[in-house]
Amino acid sequence: MRKKASSKHFKQFFTCIAIIIMAVFLLAPVSSAAQIKELKIGIGVDADTLNPQEQTTTLFQNICDLVYDNLYFQDPDGTLHPRLLAKHEVSEDGLTWIMHLQKNVQFSDGTAFNADVVKQTWDRILDPKMRVPLRFAVSMVKECVKIDDYTVRLNLKYAFAPLNATMSMALVSPISSAALTKYGEDVRRHPVGAGPYVLSEWVKGDRIVLTRNEKYWGKAPTVDKIIFKIVPEATTREAMLRTGEIDICYKPLPSNVADLQAQKNIIVEMPLDTRTIFMGLNCQKGVTMDKKVRQAFNYAIDKKAIVDRILFNTAQPMDGPVSPKIFGYVKMDHQYDYNPGKAKQLLKEANFDFSKTINMRTPNGRYLFDKQVSEVVQAYLQAIGVKVELRTYDWPTYVAGLLKPIEKSELEVFLLGWGPLFLDADMALYGQFTTEVNPPKGLGSSFYSNPVYDEIMKASRKELDTNKRFALLKQASEIVWDDCPWIWLHVEKFVLAYSSKIKNLVVTPTEKFYPTYITME
Amino acid sequence: MLNFLLKRLLAIIPVLLGITLLLFFMLRMLPGDPAQVLAGQMASPADVEIIRVQMGLDKPVYIQYASFLNRLVHLDLGVSARTQNPVIEEIWAKLPNTVLLALCAITLACAFGIPAGVIAAVRPYSWVDYLVTIASLFGISMPVFWLGIMLMIVFSITLQWLPAGGIGTWKHLVLPSVTLAAFVVAFIARMTRSCMLEVLSQDYVTTARSKGLKEKAIIIKHALKNALIPIITVVGLQFGLLLGGAVLTETVFAWPGLGRLIVDSILARDYAMIQGSILIFGLLYTLVNLVVDLTYAFVDPRIRYE
Repeated sequence: MRKKASSKHFKQFFTCIAIIIMAVFLLAPVSSAAQIKELKIGIGVDADTLNPQEQTTTLFQNICDLVYDNLYFQDPDGTLHPRLLAKHEVSEDGLTWIMHLQKNVQFSDGTAFNADVVKQTWDRILDPKMRVPLRFAVSMVKECVKIDDYTVRLNLKYAFAPLNATMSMALVSPISSAALTKYGEDVRRHPVGAGPYVLSEWVKGDRIVLTRNEKYWGKAPTVDKIIFKIVPEATTREAMLRTGEIDICYKPLPSNVADLQAQKNIIVEMPLDTRTIFMGLNCQKGVTMDKKVRQAFNYAIDKKAIVDRILFNTAQPMDGPVSPKIFGYVKMDHQYDYNPGKAKQLLKEANFDFSKTINMRTPNGRYLFDKQVSEVVQAYLQAIGVKVELRTYDWPTYVAGLLKPIEKSELEVFLLGWGPLFLDADMALYGQFTTEVNPPKGLGSSFYSNPVYDEIMKASRKELDTNKRFALLKQASEIVWDDCPWIWLHVEKFVLAYSSKIKNLVVTPTEKFYPTYITME
Repeated sequence: MLNFLLKRLLAIIPVLLGITLLLFFMLRMLPGDPAQVLAGQMASPADVEIIRVQMGLDKPVYIQYASFLNRLVHLDLGVSARTQNPVIEEIWAKLPNTVLLALCAITLACAFGIPAGVIAAVRPYSWVDYLVTIASLFGISMPVFWLGIMLMIVFSITLQWLPAGGIGTWKHLVLPSVTLAAFVVAFIARMTRSCMLEVLSQDYVTTARSKGLKEKAIIIKHALKNALIPIITVVGLQFGLLLGGAVLTETVFAWPGLGRLIVDSILARDYAMIQGSILIFGLLYTLVNLVVDLTYAFVDPRIRYE
């Protein structure tokens, strides 16, 4: 009896020790890592607004994420993790979404996070008087209704399966209601959110400084202070990374990537992006109306060479109509490998008029080496006997040209980039190729219009079963890939160079990075 | 004198009015829709329209101009479309940086340019003269961004003496000032040389020499003082230009000044911001010109303003 009792005590004692040791091990990395005083990040431009509902630039949505947190967090693999939203349920018809909020969350000013705040956020997003440029991304939401303190219901106008991924956008991150009362719309300069950081200083044109939010409900960040230093010239950012004036360099020049990689104290990370770069071909006007011509143009261009020689491998040739990082991507069975002979033959079959000069347009400096890429495409087309004239525009002029309706459109061949804001093919396949987005209503400037395709894409939005939806997206991809409304060029990579002391930096295919829980050697 | 000053100050008003008129209509003739730029590539036409109305761009241009002038009379430059901040605040944040950089650059340029020009003129066609001429030619022909990057490679990356970019300490000021000054110094040196050469061949210099005056006194007191008028003009003009912001230097060295603000605003078609910053630039430029005119009177007592 006694023996048994003592062995029982021994067991208890042992368990205690084990728990203590485990606790020490679990806590140790956190406490020792929490000593990073300051992290300096070199970026190219200053933010215009830190109101997440107004922001359209990925980098500043990224900063908003740090200040406001997200409803859901989409990790680099596309998996959604609960943040301010604990979970959601969808009705059978897909028209009602019940959202369960995280409890015991406070904004950095002490305001409680609850259903009222979330409803207020949605009311603001849906209010047509408010400036919400990305409203189209949630245009299916009719209204937000409060059910109880921690539950809201979204009523939809039409079913939209990828709404869960949409919840990872900064667009839907709530702002403290007290801050909205206090600052009004000036909240764009005085952001107050429930995220791991608070804005502590913003010197226009020079720096944005974030400090740790002591009231943050989640795991405490390891970095005390993050300084976003505005350095417009990429070469200077690289120089500052080398001299140690900054720790992270946002988007260094592709031409210098190899050189940076050779440095021992610098890591270059470049995950594949969601943004595809393409040459749009007008499907309703001019010589490119003929599908054979469009396919010929695809065979005429050596995309691999462009990626290797112009972009220094900071991109990858497209092998499907969307980026491989996105849900719905399938590598297409048939590839338009470089084949000038086949291109010429297809043009012959199409009775192509070689005396005509085709008008090609490109922006200059909007995307990585956009003008240079266009020049190479021009050269490849000229190599198969097609006369091409290339014109360059600055961005505002360029967009104005893209948005003209078909009657007024002068577009023939034009370079453009399209980067879905979360990892789902809907924004790419629906947002570029359905009849609905033909200009002036959208930026599907290839004027691609195919009723069969439209039907499939509409069905995909209603389909809540992941596998069935994937099959629909695949079917749509195959149709559009064969029809070639684009010269399928390449998928960009998101290049981030940083000090090799930094570990565990989270870098996503949507061009975001989260230094919240990094460790430093 | 006071009368003159008052007249000149009043004359600034029509000049500025002219600037606003030209600028206002030229801007609106540019292709590209500011509301679309602001809304981003993916925004729906309805949302772009809302932004256009908010910005007041749906109204006829003459009404927009009238309301712009009305605000201007109340010293209100409007609100930036991009940041929604008052334009004057945005400019105010950048202006001290620009003035500081311009002052440093122009001081450096005068400190080196004028003596170099004088020395070259005193010993024309000697090796010193050739050296100054060649150096000036370099200074004028070197692209600013190239020189900036070269200086950065040498002094920041290799020697690690100076920071590569940003603002804060005097060390941050060195490289951008030197880069900016390189062009101006060459300009001033060449100007000084040719003016001095002209003056040195004048009769009164020969008279001074025959009187047995010391060469140093002749050069500084008699020649340089008389050669100063065109030099002051050049310095004034260059300083005025520097105040408009040195876009390339500011970009290379991440210097938050007016130049970048103007270029960024043009690229974003931020009308209010462009109008405001160009107007301030115009004002500064005319003021610098006025100061230059006033200095003439100090240098040359024969010049009087009635």
